[in-house]
Amino acid sequence: MKFSENWLREWSNPQWNTHELSEGLSLAGLEVDGIEPVAGEFTNVVVGHVLSVEKHPDADKLNITQVDVGEEEPVQIVCGAKNVVAGMKACCAKVGAVLPGNFKIKKAKLRGVPSHGMLCGATEIGLPDDGVDGLLVLPNNAPVGQDVREYLDLNDSSIDVDLTPNRADCFSILGLARDVHAISGAPFNQPFEDKELAGTSACSQNIVVLQEQACPKYLGCVVSGFDTTAQTPSWMVQKLQRSGLRSLSLVVDITNYVLMELGQPMHAFDLDKLQGDIQVRMANAGEKLVTLDEKEISLSDNTLVIADDSGAVALAGIMGGLSTSVTDTTSKIFFECAHFSRLAITGQARNYGLHTDSSMRFERGVDPMLPERALNRALQLFTEIAGGEVSAFNSVISEDYLPKPAVIELRRETIASRLGVAVENEQVEKIFVDLGFEIQISDLGWTVTSPSFRFDMAIEMDLIEEIGRVYGYNSLPETPVMAPMTLNELLESEQSLNALKTGLVQRGYNEVVTYSFVAEDKQKLIAPDLPYVVLKNPISDDMKAMRTTLFTGLLQSMAYNQNRQQSRVRLFETGLVFYKNDADSTGATQVPMFGGAIVGSANIAGWDVENRNVDFYDMKGDVETLLGMSHKADKVSYETCTNPALHPGQSASITLDGKEIGVMGQLHPQLVKTMGVSGTVFMFQIRQDALLNMDVPKASAISKFPEVQRDLAFVMDESQSVQSLIDCVNSVKSDILQSIDIFDIYRGQGIEDSQKSIAITLRIQHQDRTLQDEEVENLVSEVLTAAKAINAELR
Amino acid sequence: MQERLQNILSQAQEAVAEVTELSKLDELRVQFLGKKGGLTEMMKTLGKLSAEERPKAGQVINEAKQAVQSLLNAKKKELDDAKLAQKLAEETIDITLPGRDADIGSLHPVTRTLTRIETLFANAGFDVETGPEIEDDWHNFEALNIPETHPARAMHDTFYINENTVLRTHTSGVQIRTMENKQPPLRVIAPGRVYRCDSDQTHTPMFHQVEGLIIEKNSSFAQLRTLIIEFLRKFFEDDELKVRFRPSYFPFTEPSAEVDIATNLFGDGRWIEVLGCGMVHPNVLKNVGIDPDEYTGLAFGLGVERLAMLRYNVKDLRQFFENDLRFLQQFK
Repeated sequence: MKFSENWLREWSNPQWNTHELSEGLSLAGLEVDGIEPVAGEFTNVVVGHVLSVEKHPDADKLNITQVDVGEEEPVQIVCGAKNVVAGMKACCAKVGAVLPGNFKIKKAKLRGVPSHGMLCGATEIGLPDDGVDGLLVLPNNAPVGQDVREYLDLNDSSIDVDLTPNRADCFSILGLARDVHAISGAPFNQPFEDKELAGTSACSQNIVVLQEQACPKYLGCVVSGFDTTAQTPSWMVQKLQRSGLRSLSLVVDITNYVLMELGQPMHAFDLDKLQGDIQVRMANAGEKLVTLDEKEISLSDNTLVIADDSGAVALAGIMGGLSTSVTDTTSKIFFECAHFSRLAITGQARNYGLHTDSSMRFERGVDPMLPERALNRALQLFTEIAGGEVSAFNSVISEDYLPKPAVIELRRETIASRLGVAVENEQVEKIFVDLGFEIQISDLGWTVTSPSFRFDMAIEMDLIEEIGRVYGYNSLPETPVMAPMTLNELLESEQSLNALKTGLVQRGYNEVVTYSFVAEDKQKLIAPDLPYVVLKNPISDDMKAMRTTLFTGLLQSMAYNQNRQQSRVRLFETGLVFYKNDADSTGATQVPMFGGAIVGSANIAGWDVENRNVDFYDMKGDVETLLGMSHKADKVSYETCTNPALHPGQSASITLDGKEIGVMGQLHPQLVKTMGVSGTVFMFQIRQDALLNMDVPKASAISKFPEVQRDLAFVMDESQSVQSLIDCVNSVKSDILQSIDIFDIYRGQGIEDSQKSIAITLRIQHQDRTLQDEEVENLVSEVLTAAKAINAELR
Repeated sequence: MQERLQNILSQAQEAVAEVTELSKLDELRVQFLGKKGGLTEMMKTLGKLSAEERPKAGQVINEAKQAVQSLLNAKKKELDDAKLAQKLAEETIDITLPGRDADIGSLHPVTRTLTRIETLFANAGFDVETGPEIEDDWHNFEALNIPETHPARAMHDTFYINENTVLRTHTSGVQIRTMENKQPPLRVIAPGRVYRCDSDQTHTPMFHQVEGLIIEKNSSFAQLRTLIIEFLRKFFEDDELKVRFRPSYFPFTEPSAEVDIATNLFGDGRWIEVLGCGMVHPNVLKNVGIDPDEYTGLAFGLGVERLAMLRYNVKDLRQFFENDLRFLQQFK
């Protein structure tokens, strides 16, 4: 909410400058979002009276003026403004004046004619553009020679506070002043006297409230016989403007003024346009209303309306209707001043896309005791400006439904234990009195009754917060949390995600963080079979589907970088993927994944580095590193798979204990272009739950005896996997075969086209003694026999 | 004899001095110390001397032999050294050329920041908890004292999946899940992604928070403030960091505060909000079956990107999610 600083200071005026006031408000929980001075920085500009205007002899567009600035002699000023005329009052910067932008006014000659000052337009003294091409015209009664800052009350700022939903009571100058009074100690001083304005003649407008719970208080009265030509006084226009409200007409301005000043929204109807009784009722479904902003809306039956015999004439607490609005020709006004319950208004404004100053206040809560006072205040202002006869007040009040003040026990002990500081009794009492609470001493502390304007008071902690807030959070003592010293668990069988990430970082991967929602069409291409969850209100269609795979985001980031001349891209991401699952309470199975994607050269560029692009086995090495860090490298198996995102001949499903824990492979060549990437891309994705546990190592004895190695080369069919050979060698029961390494795969001369040669090394060693040649030869021949069984022949 | 020995010795000196190759040195050894060498010849003549003269003469000859041997040894070492030096010189390479494949990637700055936060709190005995990102209404709102009609709901810019499920708008739901499943006292933090339906220069529809929760008997708001200030000073490694608490409003805490730090990121020392905190609202404790008269809770929620921006001088929030390698590689 925006407000004029000077207006606030009329009610409570601490010895603080603007900056200090703003700090004070922020530190009381009324966060200041912005401060805008109402005018630029300038000095020495006074009200000038233009005595005469003559054409400049040597310049068509310039005039020579004589200006009375309240000194003995008038000053001569050469002026280029089109609207300068003799007799006008205007802002005059005297010699020595400094205008916004540190523009200094000096004696000058313009085309040979001396000029001692400058007549100013609005923007030249940092005021908002008034739309006038030329000087800012001042009223005829402006006192000549008076400082313009003073005359126009320009030493003022518009302060914007961002109110939290609990502080509905601060949506007015009155409410802000109450808090300023409490935190600064400056007196609270209502700048006008409350007057009873109700007349004696009966109010001719009958009121029927059908929804007493939604509208427990409805006041109305009729004003007639006023001056229909009366204008809003400039002081009021100015305060409204500086509080972000445009001046529209006297009646609207007065209701806005009371809204800003006291926080009570009001509405004025043209009495002659109302037909029959005013009814406060729920709208009929489909009922139409054209609102003040000339939009026709169709109402739903949970919307509270003000209606007459012809139908709805206003959206209660939100906006009036066009057909009954006050116009230039209105001669009788029906003023409405009501209390609508929060629940009746909440959500309604949003449903119709209408956010008004009124709905904002009613949604958060308006003081139920305010309508009488606010109606009187509005009538006071109106009759002072436009005169007129006020009828008696017609009021419909349902006491039972008016919000009741909270009565809360406040224990002295709780203040100290919860806030962590012992606040003096007198200070506690003063804080509540200053904030408008009633406070009585009780056995354990106090009984505190909240004022009718505080909707945020229900429990003791609410009161404690008030004490803390006014006492000052920043004055609380330093006290560390006290708790018994215990050691946390440290599970060595848990692998940390960060360690895994670091493993990939050391292999040249960069971690990315992509949005968890992706374009539906892309996801359908990458993972056509996985059911996914869709957002009801996405930011855009590209961010509509919750991801079921990390691939989409990784490829998007890859494309982004490829489009920026990065040919070698290595990325990984960790995070949840979401599979639609109605059986889960959240409607989705949410699985933490670890994924990566690489493209471009296998090594970073160098002066003698082999220049080749990444292939399946580069990525597999990375995957094996990850799995190795979790002691899974030799526990998983790689099986051919048909993943729609991957090349059918270069993809693998990674399985552990018979369950798929991930996939890896080449991005399907048909998807390269659609995903916006280029080149041969490899990707992997592994469930984090398979990676985040490992074995606590258990050492076994190392043999002291020499190791024997035997190199063997087998020729086998291309269609057979190397793994089948290894499995076959491993199937030979032996306690001396320690390991098998593959050291060469050969195709070409000497080997038939459909075959390949696989060279392996057997590492053989006995735990307790030196091996006999015979034992080694026996093992080798068993291996050869086993190999033969799968048609792998010794080369 | 003395004269002859002197003669041989000086011949040997001259000859060794001229040697430049090891093979030549070997010839000299044969020449002077071999069977036909001058000194061996002289040894053979010892028999002709009297018994008294013999030991003396033998000693003198032996000394001469040793002198020649050490001349040869010294020369050999000299030649060996020279040869090694030459070999090493020949093997000299340009050590300024870069090494091969020094391929270091990078951790995302959000991860870096999260790790820093987690480590600070883990060191003080906090456990790290996680929770689902598609969250039900109860955990994201209702249990946190934000009923359906609460005006705070409108402020949350929530992404809806359906009436009862949302993308979590904060990590505070993990508070509830933790308190539902574990008994107090508790000290946990919950890092993770959160979502708000808002996207402009200073808002991204997804960002990260770290939720913190302490449930103890007799914990106070002053303690919370002390902890937060200490955290921020340790996080930024700045003991002088200016921190201020501003009263604020969250439905799930009472009292509530927003915390600002003074920063020079924009050159003007302005206050920037970095987190929200407060004492867990008694209604929230009741919702999870904890007696608010017995236990009090302290809770906070940190904006991770905000802290990362301030710590690493990042001026545009959106950079965190563009994943431009030129940006990421700055966080090696």
